[in-house]
Amino acid sequence: MAIPRFQDITIKNKLTAIIMLTSVTALLMGLGAFITWEYFDIKKNMVESLSTHASIIADNTKAAVVYENADDAKEMLSALRAAPSIIHARICTEDNNTLAIFNKDPNDASVHLLQIKKEGYNFTRDSLNLQKNIMLDNEKIGTIYLKSDLSNIKHGVTRTATIGGIIAAIIIFVTFLVSSKLQKIISGPILSLAGVAKDVSEHKDYSTRALKQSNDEVGQLIDAFNEMLYEIQERDLELTHLNEKLEQRVKERTADLMNANKKLEKLNRELEQTVEKLTAANIELADFAHIAAHDLKAPLRAIGSLAGMIVEDYRDKLDENGQKQLNLLTQRTERMSSLINGILKYSEVGQLSNGQEQVDLNQVVEDTILNIAPPENIEIKVENTLPTIISERTHMLQLFQNLLSNAIKYMDKPQGLVKIGCVEEDDFWKFYVSDNGPGIEEKYYDRIFTIFQTLKRRDEVEGTGIGLTMVKKIVTLYNGKIWVESKVGHGSTFFFTLPKQKKEAKKHAKLQTNIVG
Amino acid sequence: MISKKEMRLKTYILMFVVLSLLASVQVQQARAAESKEYQIKAAFLYNFIQFVEWPKEKAADSNQPIIIGIIGRDPFGNVFESLKNKKIKGKSVIIKRFKPYEELKINGVLESTSDELKNCHVLFICSSENRNINQIIDIVKTSSVLTVGETHYFLENGGIINFELEEKKVRFAINLDAANTAKLKISSQLLRLAKRVVQEKKQTKKADK
Repeated sequence: MAIPRFQDITIKNKLTAIIMLTSVTALLMGLGAFITWEYFDIKKNMVESLSTHASIIADNTKAAVVYENADDAKEMLSALRAAPSIIHARICTEDNNTLAIFNKDPNDASVHLLQIKKEGYNFTRDSLNLQKNIMLDNEKIGTIYLKSDLSNIKHGVTRTATIGGIIAAIIIFVTFLVSSKLQKIISGPILSLAGVAKDVSEHKDYSTRALKQSNDEVGQLIDAFNEMLYEIQERDLELTHLNEKLEQRVKERTADLMNANKKLEKLNRELEQTVEKLTAANIELADFAHIAAHDLKAPLRAIGSLAGMIVEDYRDKLDENGQKQLNLLTQRTERMSSLINGILKYSEVGQLSNGQEQVDLNQVVEDTILNIAPPENIEIKVENTLPTIISERTHMLQLFQNLLSNAIKYMDKPQGLVKIGCVEEDDFWKFYVSDNGPGIEEKYYDRIFTIFQTLKRRDEVEGTGIGLTMVKKIVTLYNGKIWVESKVGHGSTFFFTLPKQKKEAKKHAKLQTNIVG
Repeated sequence: MISKKEMRLKTYILMFVVLSLLASVQVQQARAAESKEYQIKAAFLYNFIQFVEWPKEKAADSNQPIIIGIIGRDPFGNVFESLKNKKIKGKSVIIKRFKPYEELKINGVLESTSDELKNCHVLFICSSENRNINQIIDIVKTSSVLTVGETHYFLENGGIINFELEEKKVRFAINLDAANTAKLKISSQLLRLAKRVVQEKKQTKKADK
């Protein structure tokens, strides 16, 4: 188990630890001081005691020294046996001859060297040496040496340390008990505050309040905490309120949206139905146009042949006016026929067959020019190489034929010039067919693509009013656009776009389904 | 024949000379030993003063000297000369010599000398007074005079301290009863050192070594 860092232990333990550390430090210092004091006290006492012993012996051996009575001196010294710490004693006469020696351990015959040269004492590593003069009538008659071991110090210090240690242990134990009780005064409110804080953060219950137990800093902290909780609670309430409002609004909006959606769906359905109806009507119309045109063709041809026959058989019998009107009839019949043909072609354009292939537009343009056989005064110029695209060849032929024949038909200049070209853009081709004809006023830009609309009277320029409409239908079929730019008197340029291959194919397919649907 | 007698005579003379020479050497040696012995005895005598307490009337003030009396034929020679200036208990010491008892008696000065004897603090009774010890002690025994002797039965005759030789070493014996009679207090230390202490019939004899 890893020992936690001091910063990480609980406040409770921290407080106890601090109190314990402080008291143990104080205690140890006190104990140390006491032992030191005891050490010096014992030393002092030892010196005093040894000095007293020396004094008594000196006093009692005066006569023995004076009369140099070794036996008596020895007997006096032997009394030192009662003092356990004295290990050696010696009495010398004035001329420093040893009179008597005492060794606590009789076997220890080793000569105890005494280093003191004059009256006094000194401590060596393991002994206390003391020298005292033996005085008689103010005169030094001899010397007494005493040597004491230091077991007293050792025993004293050991005893003091032992007793001190036991007392210290008891004090530490009691301090621990007291401090672990008393630390609650400080840690209690903090812990309860921490508990409340934890509770609040866990359960998000901001209505909880910490209980204030005192008026100190912790009390202030608890006040501040409670105030903070109060504010959070207020804000929480406000937030909840706002949230509810927001939810309500979202609900309302959702309902609105749903309604709108429903309406839209309904509209959509209606639209779809309308489209379906329209498509059906359209198809019906196209079919009708086709059938009608087709069916009108036969009687018209009959009328034409009849008119022809009348002209051939009754030319001479008819006056000039009759002939003129007959001619008019023939002409109108031809116009009718071309109109019907135009309607037929137009109605056929909407019906795409599966005849999609790679169509080289250069070839298409070449064929168209051959087909039209333009008059000599009009030059048709292909300005650059045209692309090859997937399409129905017939459509492309109709496209260019209508545009080119339009340009030739309305040409009013003695030297006509028609230019064909193409510009490659990002995802489509932009084609143009420009002429130097009369031009078109801007207000007619849209009208020219409407069916049966011609800008000139039928009598001036023979036209059905179907050509440009069909061009637009084909371009639209291929997802392209068509528009015109013109300057009256100078000429017009028809632009149209065809999307590039791959996309074209896809959209084409889509177009087909749409048309079929 | 004559030559034989002469020879014998010569031999005797030679022997006498040699013997007398030897004898003179021995006498000299004996004298030297004697001188050493009395040096020690003199020191002992001086030191007795340290361990004996006189009654107040005799201790008096410090101006009064301590008087050591010597009665009889003085064996100390000039040993005291070296101790002349030594002070004991802060007092100077005076040596007073008295004529032998017999002589004092014959000269008729015994009465007048008695007071002087009583005045002494210590009275050394020389071995020459062997026959008159009783009489001398009788004079001073109640006057707080420490009587010191060096003869047999000195203590039995009422003396207080007696020098006794033991294996050529000077020692002493004490008669405590006599000391009490003289109102002298003898230090226990001194008593401990005594070879024997005589006291009220029972006699303590220290173990000889």
